[in-house]
Amino acid sequence: MIGRYALLFSLGVVAILMASPLILTLFSSLKPTTELVNPPWHPPFDITFEHYIRVWTEGKFNRYFLNTLVISTVDAIAMIGIASLAAYALVFMRFRGKSIVQILFLVGLMIPVTAIILPLYSVVRSVGLVNTHLGVIFADLALAVSVFIFLFSSYFLSVPKALHEAARIDGATEFQTYRRVIMPIARPAVVTTALLEFLWSWNDLLLRLLLLPRDEMRTLSVGLLNFQGIMTRDVAGLSSGTMIMALPVVLLFLAFQRHFVRGMTQGAVK
Amino acid sequence: MLLDPDSNLAKRLNPVLFLLPAMAIYLVFAIYPTISVVEYSFTDWDGINPKREYIGLANYERLFTDKIFWEAFRNTFVWSGVVIVINVGLGLVIAAMLARVWKARLIIQTAIVLPVVISPMAVATIWRWMYQPKGVVNQVLEAIGLGALKTPWLGSPDAVLYALAFAHSWSTIGLSVIIFLAGLQAVDEDLYDAARVDGATPVQSFRYVTLPALRPVTAVVFILTLTQSFKVFDIVWATTQGGPIRFSEILSTYMYKRGALENDYGYGAAIGVALLVIVSLATIIYMRIQHREEQ
Repeated sequence: MIGRYALLFSLGVVAILMASPLILTLFSSLKPTTELVNPPWHPPFDITFEHYIRVWTEGKFNRYFLNTLVISTVDAIAMIGIASLAAYALVFMRFRGKSIVQILFLVGLMIPVTAIILPLYSVVRSVGLVNTHLGVIFADLALAVSVFIFLFSSYFLSVPKALHEAARIDGATEFQTYRRVIMPIARPAVVTTALLEFLWSWNDLLLRLLLLPRDEMRTLSVGLLNFQGIMTRDVAGLSSGTMIMALPVVLLFLAFQRHFVRGMTQGAVK
Repeated sequence: MLLDPDSNLAKRLNPVLFLLPAMAIYLVFAIYPTISVVEYSFTDWDGINPKREYIGLANYERLFTDKIFWEAFRNTFVWSGVVIVINVGLGLVIAAMLARVWKARLIIQTAIVLPVVISPMAVATIWRWMYQPKGVVNQVLEAIGLGALKTPWLGSPDAVLYALAFAHSWSTIGLSVIIFLAGLQAVDEDLYDAARVDGATPVQSFRYVTLPALRPVTAVVFILTLTQSFKVFDIVWATTQGGPIRFSEILSTYMYKRGALENDYGYGAAIGVALLVIVSLATIIYMRIQHREEQ
């Protein structure tokens, strides 16, 4: 079975090539300054965390990390709430203008943030939310809510209609039915929404670049961009900053790979 | 409950209450800016002055004669072309190989998909370092005897666009591989058996069984990659900002420079509308194909 080994060998090469940019960055973030002259593919002899500590404190990545964590967490939780409520109304309730609402949300799948970034900035400024995390959170929610409404809708549609009706006949209000009957069934959609929205929020640069110009409000993406502009030649510092930004999502991905893989294909249009 | 849950009022109020949070945020921060970008594109405005002057189609006329816009447009297309060739071509081959492997599949797949979750900003920092004149890429080329190909990747007018598109491909190909893999798993195994009985080689069965069965999935990945390429901003902004000169200028960076940095807001909005139209059309096609697939 030479074919089999050739196959595994080529895939192994692909995997190593794909992983190497990250691994080499990890290497140079852990090397003492004296070892940085070695070729980048030499693993560090003495592992040091000095660059991480330096970037974390002096580079103010502690502040950026906290800001990013707050925004992404609020984004994820709020998205679960607003998207599932809207999807519930669209799937289980009857009201006039439903198809208009559906089409309106469908439009949201086609709007790239890059195209509307200028007027979006004007809106956030006119409601006084520039340099606040709330402004970024609103923008994040608005630009991705369509994806998650359709995600929740497709889960709700697979719930037997009888289940919803039974709960309503038993005297439960719509909100009680939503909370106690429907949402527990939609767990996979909740997890996917939380992971994807957290990821998108964590990774975004453009919105944060415009909406958070003040240093103490910055996220990791803007902080890293700024750090790169000032410390152009600080390879170890930049590598550590990159790892601080990448590591949390890498760990999250490794822990929830199955959910991520499914979610990324479902939310691919975004 | 003050309100009888089955009263007429509750029935009419409920949908409103359930839809309100999503709808309010969505209308203010997504729909209104989308309408505005179209409106602004008909104005001559600096983005700050309360008065804005309507100038009809003048911004669009300017687009047609603006050499830099067309350069950015061309660059965006070249970028998409490079990423499509890699993500669709190589993505399909990698997925087809992965589908034939059981042991070690998860670890290989993880290595390929992992870059997808990494922030484009981090991707930019990594590749900016790798592409330095004495960086990893050139050192590797030297070490494997291809020293003649060494070039200052991000400083070279000929190489910069391809180098950045390649980095973008590195960070997105994992998604193509996953979508192709899902498509491959849906191919009828009997077809492969029949091909084997007929004496087809693995390459022949790939050519005559796999490829035709995957045509719709390929279309999906193609359009997805196209829209992804038109939405790129971070990787270019964090590395070259469109340079050297304008050799890596793409639509989004040009729009950002004009609109956000030079306060030529109306004109920036017209570029935004061009982006909006292209991405929307591609997305509609994408959703159509996917919809047809599901039925």
